[in-house]
Amino acid sequence: MKRRSLLIGAAGLFGTGLLMTACGTDDNQAVTNAPAAAPKGEVTFWSSLAGMDKVTEAFNASQSDIKVTFESVPNGASGGYAKLSTAITAGNGPDVSTIEYANLPQFVSNGQVEPLDKLVDKAASVDKYYEQIRGLVQFGGATYGLPYDAAPMIMWYRKDLLDKAGVGVPKTWADFEAAGKALQQAVPGTYLASFNPNEPTVTAALAWQAGGKWFSAAGDSWKVGINDASSKKIADFWQKLIDAKIVKVEQSFSDEWSMDLAKGNVAGVLGANWSATGIQKRVEGSDQKGAWIAAEVPNWGTPAGAFYGGSSFNVAKGSKNPAAAAKFIQFLATDQAAVAARGNTGSAFLAFPGLTATAQKAYDASFFGNDIYAVFEAAYKVITPGWQWGPNWEITNTAIKDAFGKLSTSSTIGAALDSAQKATVEGLKQTGLSVTQ
Amino acid sequence: MAIKAHTSMAPKKRTATGNSGRSAALFLTPFFAVFAVAMVAPVVYSIWLSFFSEQKSGLGFGASVTKFVGLENYVQVLQSETFVSGLVRLLMYCAMYIPLMVGGAVVFALLLDAGVARAKKLFQLLVFLPHAVPGVIAALIWAYLYTPGISPLVQVLASGGIQLNFLDAHLILPSVVNIAVWEWTGYNVIILFTALQAVPKEILEAARVDGAGEARLSLNIKLPLILPALSVIMLFTIIGTLQLFTEPTIIAKATNSITSTWVPNMWAYDAAFNRHNLNQAAAASIIIALLAAVLSFIVTRFSNKADKS
Repeated sequence: MKRRSLLIGAAGLFGTGLLMTACGTDDNQAVTNAPAAAPKGEVTFWSSLAGMDKVTEAFNASQSDIKVTFESVPNGASGGYAKLSTAITAGNGPDVSTIEYANLPQFVSNGQVEPLDKLVDKAASVDKYYEQIRGLVQFGGATYGLPYDAAPMIMWYRKDLLDKAGVGVPKTWADFEAAGKALQQAVPGTYLASFNPNEPTVTAALAWQAGGKWFSAAGDSWKVGINDASSKKIADFWQKLIDAKIVKVEQSFSDEWSMDLAKGNVAGVLGANWSATGIQKRVEGSDQKGAWIAAEVPNWGTPAGAFYGGSSFNVAKGSKNPAAAAKFIQFLATDQAAVAARGNTGSAFLAFPGLTATAQKAYDASFFGNDIYAVFEAAYKVITPGWQWGPNWEITNTAIKDAFGKLSTSSTIGAALDSAQKATVEGLKQTGLSVTQ
Repeated sequence: MAIKAHTSMAPKKRTATGNSGRSAALFLTPFFAVFAVAMVAPVVYSIWLSFFSEQKSGLGFGASVTKFVGLENYVQVLQSETFVSGLVRLLMYCAMYIPLMVGGAVVFALLLDAGVARAKKLFQLLVFLPHAVPGVIAALIWAYLYTPGISPLVQVLASGGIQLNFLDAHLILPSVVNIAVWEWTGYNVIILFTALQAVPKEILEAARVDGAGEARLSLNIKLPLILPALSVIMLFTIIGTLQLFTEPTIIAKATNSITSTWVPNMWAYDAAFNRHNLNQAAAASIIIALLAAVLSFIVTRFSNKADKS
């Protein structure tokens, strides 16, 4: 049975390769005839984001030139990117895709998404974005996506447990450590948060906040700094928290994690704005209404933050109707109506300026004990500038996860970053890229 | 009449061969067509892929070129620390799983064959039942049973004073072995049991007359007679084991002890669909296939020898 599925996979690869060569030629023509005056036709849209079916319906109802067909796909980590990438290569991908910032450079590098510069009204869209988020969709002077959500890293706490420990909301990481110790004293066996080895993007966000730069383009080569001084600093600090049992090592979104939140074994979640729905869903049955609050992530002395997650909308290579796709993307990312249409599906915090009030109105945040959107706004304003994602995040992602596998035995976060650095440099060089350290 | 039939067969047979050649071709064509498209072509294409590499330059935002690199992908795969440690892990898995599962299947089959007639059908069913559960579901069930704080199993053990974390780095391999044993033992019991049914009754009776007890009968008479079935099982098990993928992939969601490159097949999947290096993935797949071929050859060689002696 296993063997058969491998063969099917191999057959799929085979098909992919054939089509890859077959459709390589006519792609360029699609770009040149792109910016039509009033784009018309059919557009397919793939996304794993909640509520996108409703947004699509709203768009279709609002005009009659473009008809969008929405298709729900698994999220990137669950195979969504594998599906998207193979589909685009095979020539049967969607017109509009949803790609997270960390993964976008890889799709750009593989030539799987179209530059939008000639397709969208730049002055009304691209140019209006906050610099820190615009930098995540622009490569080599071209724009490859319109940012949808900005996902500032947010610390979620059980306020009642902090009160029990007699501490306020930690402002700095030193406060955080002290709060963890106080909580241990007050309620033995309780962790202040969890460290999630399945989510290297959190580790990246922590390094980003501290001023680390995992990837930067220096001239014509990539500088890789996964184990730079700032990254090592946060690695050592979190290792200390793990060793002192202030944070618990567990996979986020796993059953164990859910149970720890529901039972109050873990009093906090290092997440982002989008964590709200996930937390609420997991603890709703355990009478914690009003107990959870959002807070800015503790900092190293001056307020600073980073993004954890967030997606952009892109026109996929091979789209037969890039102009219509671009028009739809502009609606998705920048229109008040698109935000309102999502309804109460999640605590989205949108990158395009001026959408927060609509997003806040659509989401029922009454479960939480404070004004979570005010916290998102504050966190969004202090994103540490200069972060860039590398040309193949998955090499790093895999390497970090592999090294984190040994966290429960002998290894440390610092050692994991060292081996990820090595694996990333090696992996990028293997694909012919120019890399310095 | 027998003679008549025989003589009339001869000319008929000749015409039959002419026809059967054509009709055999007719019946076999669909098979070979599918076989060529779904088996031969992908394998050939994978081998082809494995000799090339997509090379980018500079920052990688320009076009890439496909370059012939010979065996370089194979070298890179075999030099990869994670691939090699995955391979070592897989061998350790084999060393635990194969004796346990095959040994268990033999014991169960012999017990069933020697046991009371009335309970036979029931036990056959019970032993086979786990195999009826699809691998993904089985892995999900076991992930639940392994997760500390949720699992009733862990809870019962803890209340008995045994603190076990099935998902930590030390126990994860046996935990995955356990799932596979649970899934596959019953299936193989049925194969061995069927072989046991074919053991001639006269031989068993003769042995009984000579004073052999049930244990003696099982070990010295039945076991040697089902050796061919046992070697078939070994062959399938070894090939199946090298393909290990489903169970660890599912369990990986519950624990960081299983990494995304935990066994060679997962390594190949990660290379193809996460790291987008189809060429390396192809090389890794060919290495796994070659390994399966070599091991299968050794097993068939051994069992042929055993058959002759």
